[in-house]
This record gives sequence, structure tokens and C-alpha cells, in this order.
Amino acid sequence: MNWLFPLYLAGAAAIIAPILLHLRRRPPQDRVEFSSLLFLDAQTPVPVSKRRLENWLLLLLRCLALILLALMFARPFLRSESAASTSPDRATLILIDGSASMRREDLWKRAAAEANRAARDSKITDRVAVAVFDRKLMPLWSFEEDRTTAASRVAEIATRLGSASPSWSGTLLDRALIDAIALFDSSTASLKKRILLISDLQEGTHLDALRSIAWPSDLSLQVQRLDVATVDNFSVALAASEEDRSADAPVRIRLSNTRDSQLRDFKLAWQDAPQSDSISAQIPPGASRILSAPPNSTRATSLTLSGDKHDFDNRVFIAPPQPRTVRIHFLGDDATRQQASSPLYYLARALQPTATLAPQLAASPVLPAQSPDILFVSGVTPGAETQPRIRDFLRRGGFLVHVVTSPADAGFIQAITGAASIAITAGKEDEDYRMLAEVKTGHPLLKPFADPKLRDFTKLRFWKHRVIQGMGASGPLETLATFDNGQPAIVSARIDKGTLILLASGWHPGDSQLALSTKFVPLLYGWLAAAGFSHDPAATLFVGDDLPLDAAQSHVVTSPDGATQTLKPGEVFIATQVGLHQVQAGVNRQIIAVNLPPDEGRVLPLEPQKLADYGVKLAAAADTDAAPSAAEQQRLSAVETEQRQHGWWWILVALLAVLLLETALAGRSRHSAAAAQTA
Amino acid sequence: MRIKSLELRAKVVVEGLWKGMHRSPYHGFSVEFSEYRAYVQGDDPRYIDWKVLARSDRTYIKKFEDETNLRCQLVIDHSKSMGYGSLGFTKADYAATLAATLASFLMKQGDAAGLTTFADGIEDHLPARNRPGHLRRLITELERPAKAAGTSLAVSISQLADLLRKRGMICLISDLLAPVEHLEKQLALLGAMGHDLVLFHVMDRAEIDFTFDKSAHFRDLESGTERFIDPQIAREAYLKRLQAHRDTIQTACDRHNVEYHFCPTDRPLEEVLFDFLSARQRKKAGKSSAIAA
Repeated sequence: MNWLFPLYLAGAAAIIAPILLHLRRRPPQDRVEFSSLLFLDAQTPVPVSKRRLENWLLLLLRCLALILLALMFARPFLRSESAASTSPDRATLILIDGSASMRREDLWKRAAAEANRAARDSKITDRVAVAVFDRKLMPLWSFEEDRTTAASRVAEIATRLGSASPSWSGTLLDRALIDAIALFDSSTASLKKRILLISDLQEGTHLDALRSIAWPSDLSLQVQRLDVATVDNFSVALAASEEDRSADAPVRIRLSNTRDSQLRDFKLAWQDAPQSDSISAQIPPGASRILSAPPNSTRATSLTLSGDKHDFDNRVFIAPPQPRTVRIHFLGDDATRQQASSPLYYLARALQPTATLAPQLAASPVLPAQSPDILFVSGVTPGAETQPRIRDFLRRGGFLVHVVTSPADAGFIQAITGAASIAITAGKEDEDYRMLAEVKTGHPLLKPFADPKLRDFTKLRFWKHRVIQGMGASGPLETLATFDNGQPAIVSARIDKGTLILLASGWHPGDSQLALSTKFVPLLYGWLAAAGFSHDPAATLFVGDDLPLDAAQSHVVTSPDGATQTLKPGEVFIATQVGLHQVQAGVNRQIIAVNLPPDEGRVLPLEPQKLADYGVKLAAAADTDAAPSAAEQQRLSAVETEQRQHGWWWILVALLAVLLLETALAGRSRHSAAAAQTA
Repeated sequence: MRIKSLELRAKVVVEGLWKGMHRSPYHGFSVEFSEYRAYVQGDDPRYIDWKVLARSDRTYIKKFEDETNLRCQLVIDHSKSMGYGSLGFTKADYAATLAATLASFLMKQGDAAGLTTFADGIEDHLPARNRPGHLRRLITELERPAKAAGTSLAVSISQLADLLRKRGMICLISDLLAPVEHLEKQLALLGAMGHDLVLFHVMDRAEIDFTFDKSAHFRDLESGTERFIDPQIAREAYLKRLQAHRDTIQTACDRHNVEYHFCPTDRPLEEVLFDFLSARQRKKAGKSSAIAA
């Protein structure tokens, strides 16, 4: 039996205290109230000591508890096992945090210096690997390289670290550690494994995935936390936008201040904007506020926050409004665009550009050479020569809205859908107006009416309609809405990738009140959304995210630093920088803003012990020295053996058992004494 | 002492005594009408109301209130030592019941009763009266808790002598747990003033026998001082001193013709009252015979 801290054994001498206490007679504590001490003699002397021990079992237990306590603090272990398990060589993976928060002050330089020192201090027989991580792990120097060229290790690591730099990415320490475990290959199997983590260990570090793994018992993590002079920091990030989606809607910003920060005053301004386009205000420590950005009169693309020392997280990039072009073709005479009775007149007025969409409405009796995104047909029946092109347009994913106006349209519909039984008849002329009776608001094509507030169709009247017959229950056509006489009003069909919508009545005033009702514009934009032209703004992108690219097209991506990369169809581009990325796809040019992950701005340092809460085995403090002396080495091995054996833990269990027994016994004896007294 | 209400307690004692005695010990001449009662053989024909007999042909005895000729001042010790009791009630409870019983008894037979409480001096003083409601007032006063003070017999009796100008009976109820050097002088003073003195010496059984067996810190209720006492050692001396104290009191009482009643709290009140009344009768008889002689 050996002891890690033998000096604590002297604590066992404390058993003298209970022995003395047991020998000492406790002066009677009873107090009796008496009417008068007039006739009582002077005080009787109080006896102080006893001649023999009482409650020797209690005394024994108390002494045993003290001895066990001393033994526990002395931390016993068995030397024989320790000698067998100690290995002089170590396999160390130096894991350097390369996230954006390491851009603060000289953190990266210090991290590189620490890594170089650790590499220098390792023995030639040790194995060393180096990796940098942010969102993912990037090995710089592997165990395999170290095994083959250990002699040039120090110089090589210094060179590679010199060329590396912190990224703009967030910190996924959990992913990095999980990947780092796999870096320990078979050549390190017989060595003592450890990971030396050099990081600022900021609060925004992700650790959750560590719960999903069982940390290897033979791998320890030693944390070398790098601290900065001040952690007071403002951070800024984009907040979710409000319902107002117009181009002039104010940008909403989330502003945070670190806990216990000394900072209060901040200034938020657009880049290169005049003084009037800025906000100067205060934010208390630990608070997080959402506020509207100042007016952007200069159409700047980045907001800058000032007032703190660390500016790595003080910019937010906002892409300028870039409405997507939607090519819409109206198959008919363009001259009717100004005629209030024509369908084109209303279509042109309903399809106005928004912050996200820029509809371009063209009209001609023939289909243009370049297929539009959406095709409207009203008042005409496409000729036989046009029908194959329209069918082809639909099969390639086109979106066709056709207002049925004459029985001749039946042939066109039959040709497109293949439903031979379709017949079109004119509705009765002398009939009263019709209203919509049943609308499938749950259908994707009628999605704008999913909100119950917008489901009131009772003000919508149809003066004239056609009857679409012979659809059949199993045909490709599906009725989305019916008139109050039960006849279909809106019918749709999927034709390969494309979508066909048939309207039994037009939207112009000659047919109905639809174009003049509040339902018309939502209905059209619902169809645009169904055709792939969503009105929703693009999601906020962060460093490490894939840029949203059309897999069918090739792209040229220009990064904020000016570097250009050409991507083949299907290739992805992962953003590595903050700023505006230009994406050129054919004639279309899109600007995408990429920002710093908001968690990266949470720079308060975490305690390394926090990692232990996630199941990571932390190296003992004694284990941190890189090149210990022989005596130190022996001590370190003793520490490790003791930690593995957990002898103190068993003593603690025994101590608790003894204390429980002592409590029970003491309680019993007190109870019996009290009972005797009462009796 | 199991009865909570002091008034009821006193009433029970007095009623029991009344029944047991069969006869009122005093028959003073009456001046004030009380009630009519049918004449029974053996009644004194002097008291037959002739006018009633003339009107109704019935013989009725006309009863009268006895004339009040006795003023009794009950003087109760309210010091903290009276708060001691080992039987489930304190000496103060016992003294209050005794006083209430006496007052009730005296007032029932037409005498006036007053109340004075004292500790280290006179606390409250109710002059002797025999009015409707006076007994209730007296009992309310008796029910008031004792004040936190020690006993000073000499001062209290001296003050009492100033208060009681009219002659009458003084019933002093106390545990007399105070130095009694000056007691004799004060008793002599009261006797010289023509007061008829009765001393009820109330003591708890634990005080009389010192029935403690375990060593403990004994705390004086009046002074608050503590003393570690082993009863085995201290008992003998205690009993000797107590006896000497009682003897001193007894001697002083005998010398100044003070009626002394020793009242351990475990002694039934009826007995005490009976003794008191018997002693009164004996005293009265003695006086009568002395006058006759």
C-alpha cells in the first residue's frame, strides 16, 4: 500500500479528541426552577472527569471515522499495478481552436506558440499530431507523418502553423473532439493518449454532441485556455425579419453585451454612411436587445457596431434587395394590356414587383422561343402547332393557367392531359350569377387561403362560366373549387413535372369579379410560389453554410476577398468568409450575404471543468508538464495510478457507512437515556 | 384545582363546606329583609311574620340579611416564588383559590372582603366591600398573573398598615420565602392597630420535603441566580433551615396572637377552611368565656 499524500495520515492522531471527550464528564445540563434558594447551601462542586470510558462502541466508531478520513485524504494506491501500467511515451494531439473568436488580440499567436512549445517539449519517442478546428477538424500534422519524420517534427509544425490562420467560422468543439478521437491510429495504441486543447474556450462553443459518445477511457483531455485582457464585448447579428417584406422594411438587429461587462455605450452605423444614419445608445451588461437598424440612405451592405475592443463580431452583412425575375407570358394580344375589359389588363396590374420577386409580363399570341416560367392562356385556344410546345413546356416543369372560354378548348385539354373524355360546354346564359361553394384551401395551389381569415369567398360572384365535364374520378384532373351549382370552377392537373390549372371562369369583369376582389393577387402569388418563386426572403447564411445554388446550373462564385471559383452543376460552395458573395448563374447574378455565426460573439470563457460534465476525461493538473523529471515522472505515475484505482472512493463509502452507524447508535443511546430520564 | 374557573372553584369549596357544617357558624341579628320561609317546628317563634299570618293564616319566617360587622382584607403574596408548583398547579393558584374561597364564604355570610396583592411592595388594593359584583371584581383581580418581583414582607406590611385604617381581619396568604427578621415587628404593628391577623403559610410539597434526587442547576425564581446542587448532599441542611424558618414564623405568630395556618398545596382547601373556621369559633368562644369570667 502506498500513499499519494502520506502527510495526511498524521490526521489520524485526531482520534485523541473523541477519547478525551468520552473521558470528560459532561456536567449535568439539567436545570430546575425552584422557588427560592434561601435554604440551600453553597454550590456543590461539579465533577469534571470520569475514571472509565463510557459508550465505548460509539467511541470506537468515531475513532474509526477519523482514521478513515485521514486515510481518504492520504489517497492510497497499490504500487505494483502502477508500475505495470506506466508507459513513458505519450501520443499527444495538439488541437488548436481556429474559430473566429481566436482573432481577438494575439490569441492565435499565443495558441501557435503554445503548440510549438508542446511539440518542442515532447520526447522523440512520443507521438505528436497537430490539428486546427472551427466547424470541422483540419489535421496539420498527423501521427503517421510524426512516426516517419519525427526528427523534423518541430520545424514542420512551426511552418504549418505559421501558414494557418483563424477562420471566420463558429466553434464546434464537440464535433472536433469526436473527430480527433479517430485520429489516434494503431501506432498510438500502446502509448498514453492525450489531447492538448489550446483554445479560448468561449461560451459560444458547441459541446452538446459530446453527450452522444462515450469518451475513451484511455484518452485524456488537457485544456490550455487562453484568456484575453478583457472579455467585455458587444456582438451583433441579424434578427428575424418582421412580416413587412417590402424592400424598404427596416433591418432588425440583435445586439448583445457580455455579462458583467463594463461597456455600455455603442454606436451602430451603416458602412461609410453619414452621421445621421447611425444609432448611439446604451445596452446594459448581459442584455440582448432587438432593434431596427438606422435608415440606409446610401444603400450600404454592412452594418458596423463600435464601442468595444474586439471587432471580429461587429459587422453584419446584408445583401441588397435582389428580386428574382419571373418570366410570365400571356398568350394573347399585347394590345389589350390597356383595355379594362381584358384579362391582360388585370394581370399586368396584379403582378407588381416586390422585394423578392420581379415579375416580367409579356404578351403575344405565340409562345416565345425561350420558355417562360409561367404561361397564362385566356380567351384563345392554342393552335395545333403550339400544343406540342406547350405540352413540352409542361413536362419540363412549366406552370400553365388556362381559362376555359370555348368548347374548342376541350381538344387542347385532351391533347395536354391525355384525358379523352373531357368536354367543355357553355354555362346557361339566363342563369343567375354563381359563387364559389367548395374551395379546397388545404391544396398547395390555394395555399394563400389556408388562413381562415382569408376564406370568405362570399363576395366573389361569377357572371359567366363554362362547364368542364368528363373529368372522371380516376383522371389526372382534380377539382380545387366548385361553383354553388356543383360544377367545377378551378381544376388542376400534374403533367410530369409541370402544373396545369384550368379556370371555368375568367378573372376579368366580363366573366367574374375575381380580378377586382381581394383574392386575386394572393391567388396569383400563390401560383407563383407553387411554380418555385417563393415570396419568402432567403434564410440568413453563416460561415460554414452551403450557398443556395441551383443544382442544375453551373455557377461562378466570387468570394468577398475577390477570389473566384467556378462550380459545375451539382457542386456545392461552403462559405468560409463573412461578407457578400456574388453568384453568377448564366445571366442571373445574385448577391448572398454570409455572416459570422451569432454564437461566436459569446466570448465569456468557459471553465475547463465544464467539459468533464459532458463526459470528457480531463487530465489531472499534475499531468500538464510536458517534460517531467524522474522523480516527477514517478509522482505523476503515482497520481495516475491512484486516479485509476479510486481507492479513496471505497474509503469514502466505508466512512459514510461508519458515520451512519454512529448516528444510528448515538440516536439510540440518546433516546434510551431520554426514556430512562422520563421514566 | 382541576376546575379552571377560580370563581367556580371557590363556590364548590364553599358550598361543600356549607353542606358539611349544616349550620351557619354565625347568627347575627338581622335588620334587612332577605326572604320568607315556611315555619317549621324548632324555628324561633320570634321570627314569625305575624302580619302575614294575620292576612293569610300561614306561619312564615321572615329572614333577614345579617348585619355586616366584619371587614376582611385578603393579602396575597404575588411574588415570583409563588409561581412554583410541583403538583400541576402553583402556589399562586392555590393561594388565589384559597382567597377566592374565603372571600366567597365571607361575602355569602354578609361580611365585607377586600384584596391586596403584594410582592416587593403593594401592587393592587381593593378595599373591603360587600356589594353586588364586588366578589367578581375581586376574583378578576385574583386571576391576574403575578408580577416578576421578589418578596419584601416588611415593606409590604408597612405599606398595608398605612392603607388599612379601619379595624378588621387581615388574612395574609404567602409562602413567606423571605427573611423574616422584621416580620415579627410588622405583625406586632398590625396587631397594635387592632387588626385580627390570620396567616396562611402556603408551601409546595417539593419545598417542604425537598423531594429531588438528581443533581442539577437550581434556579431561584425570584432572583434568577443559579446554583449547582446535589440534593443528596443538600437535603438535610435544607430541611433543617426550613424548619427553623417555620419555627421562627410560628413563634412570632404565637407571640402576637396571629392565627397561623400551614397550608401545603396538596392539602384540600375544605380542610383549610374548616380549620380556619374552627379556629375562629374557638377564638370567639375563648373571648366570650374570658369576658364571662
